[in-house]
Amino acid sequence: MEPQQQAGSGDAPPKQVAQAMDRLGRAARLIAEIRLGADRILEALLVSNENPRLSEKAAELTLGEEDAMRRHFLDLRTVGKQLEDSGVLSGALRSRGNSWGLHMPLVCPDGAVVAYAWKRQLAGQAGASAVDRARLALKAFSDQKRRFFPQLEDDQLNRSNNDTIKFPPTKRPRLLHRPTQSPNIDSTEQKPMLADILKSIQTEAPGVTISTYQRLEWSKRAESLALDQPKEQILSNLSGSFNEVAVIELVASGVFRVLVSLHPAGSTDPDAVAFFSPNEGGSYLHSRGMSVHHVFKHVTEYADKALQYFQSSDPNKALSHLLSWICSHQSLFTKNCSKCCKLLAMDKSLALLLPPVHRPYLLNSKDHDQDFATAYHIGCSSYDV
Amino acid sequence: MPVKWLMHFQPNQGTTLTSQVMAEACAVAESFPGVSRDGRWRSSMTFYRAVPRDQSLPAPSDLPRDLIGISLHDLPNEYLFVMRSQRLILRAHSSVQTVMDKLQSYKGRFFINFEGLQYKWGDFKLRIGKCLYNPNEALRGIVMEVEYLPLSSIDKSQRVMEEFYEIWREAVASKLLAGQFINTEVNFVEYGLGDSYTPQHTAVLYGMCVVQVIASSNKNQ
Repeated sequence: MEPQQQAGSGDAPPKQVAQAMDRLGRAARLIAEIRLGADRILEALLVSNENPRLSEKAAELTLGEEDAMRRHFLDLRTVGKQLEDSGVLSGALRSRGNSWGLHMPLVCPDGAVVAYAWKRQLAGQAGASAVDRARLALKAFSDQKRRFFPQLEDDQLNRSNNDTIKFPPTKRPRLLHRPTQSPNIDSTEQKPMLADILKSIQTEAPGVTISTYQRLEWSKRAESLALDQPKEQILSNLSGSFNEVAVIELVASGVFRVLVSLHPAGSTDPDAVAFFSPNEGGSYLHSRGMSVHHVFKHVTEYADKALQYFQSSDPNKALSHLLSWICSHQSLFTKNCSKCCKLLAMDKSLALLLPPVHRPYLLNSKDHDQDFATAYHIGCSSYDV
Repeated sequence: MPVKWLMHFQPNQGTTLTSQVMAEACAVAESFPGVSRDGRWRSSMTFYRAVPRDQSLPAPSDLPRDLIGISLHDLPNEYLFVMRSQRLILRAHSSVQTVMDKLQSYKGRFFINFEGLQYKWGDFKLRIGKCLYNPNEALRGIVMEVEYLPLSSIDKSQRVMEEFYEIWREAVASKLLAGQFINTEVNFVEYGLGDSYTPQHTAVLYGMCVVQVIASSNKNQ
């Protein structure tokens, strides 16, 4: 490791900050090296356990790794001391007088490094928000990958692990095995079948037309809706086989078109929902899309919360509850707010006239005959449901 | 297409309509938070009268004597005809106007232009305009078109439009304009039109509205 210039208190704050950032980077690399070293030691131990012939080579590797690890630990200790002295880990320098408005980088409890503490305050957000956003983005991308390229999943894992661990390939799958197919729905008694759920919703809400589509079928239909709105309400188009159903479309004539996607296809697990006007069409019409109209945008945002609630409180019946809740929106443009008794209300913060777009979704413990009958304007919802 | 309501301004008894009212109405619209101006709009209407081919013969009774032709601001490539007596509407390409000029079977007797300002307010679009009598540009009335973008069903949007109308009327009354906006009530079924809103509905609304505007302006003169 190259010798570091000590940042004296005579150095300008920008230099101190830059050096602190540099040291943090180095600390991160050292930690990574230590992790790799630990992996290698483990690997060596396991190999020597498997294959006594290789145990001498494994012992050599272990000793070598041990030396390297010791060195890394010493370096890490030094860097840590430097960081501590410059106030990075404690944030003690935040209130330094002559710091030119700059502050030492701060390591937050969740591991995020905030280069400039004042930026946190300016942005009005916690320093960890960038980490959260990256994490959300990663989750979104990996969800998408898992959905659209399920065959890539296992390959990726095998490839990345082969770089660092020289294991015989047959060992890997057992450690990494993740069930990619959902268990056969028929075998679980509690989980109702998709066909039954849809049938019961049809009887419950006769004003809503329900159709099911495979993913590609829906894309084609969405495009065709842009070109030509069907004049008369189409007849319900329920797929013959429910194994491939990925999109459920609910249409209340003249009121809404709602799309619910299921993941994995053919299951009864909803994973996204979106509300649209019946006169909208185009490739943006899907369960993760957003309507161009304000009223439907707000209902969709609220529906996301409802979906999360149903998934967490009653996962087996999440789809049934969601579909019932969606069907209660047939009166979106006719039902007055349960609080102010008006249909249209001016939302001051949004500067929009909207009908009541919040329909509470909390489930009773009794769990039957849930009618989701109340509706509130955004401003009239007194609690966050 | 999104549903529309059409209103005209009814001045109070004894007052005359001036362009000041147009400015005041626009001010009311702009007073709502979140309203943004969205340019100008312009539609025009022609009142045609049949020109008999042969003056000596009586005009055939099944042909309409009067015809209204409308060019709408949101459909520049189309021209609509309304035959009020027969309750018929015809939708044609805008070049039909040249055909009419060449044929001379119907002659334009007088013309009305609508022009004014357009506003966007969330899911609503408002258009406030003067109703000008061509050729002398005399102000005959003030109209306001309200469009609700998310819905195309007249039936399903009825309550939303009613409440909007109430909100608008209250705002106008509170700003002490010398009159009120009256909604144009039309029985679309008589014209063979359905629940799904179309330009034909707009044509019928304008036809009806203009009749009321002219009647009220004649009354007040």
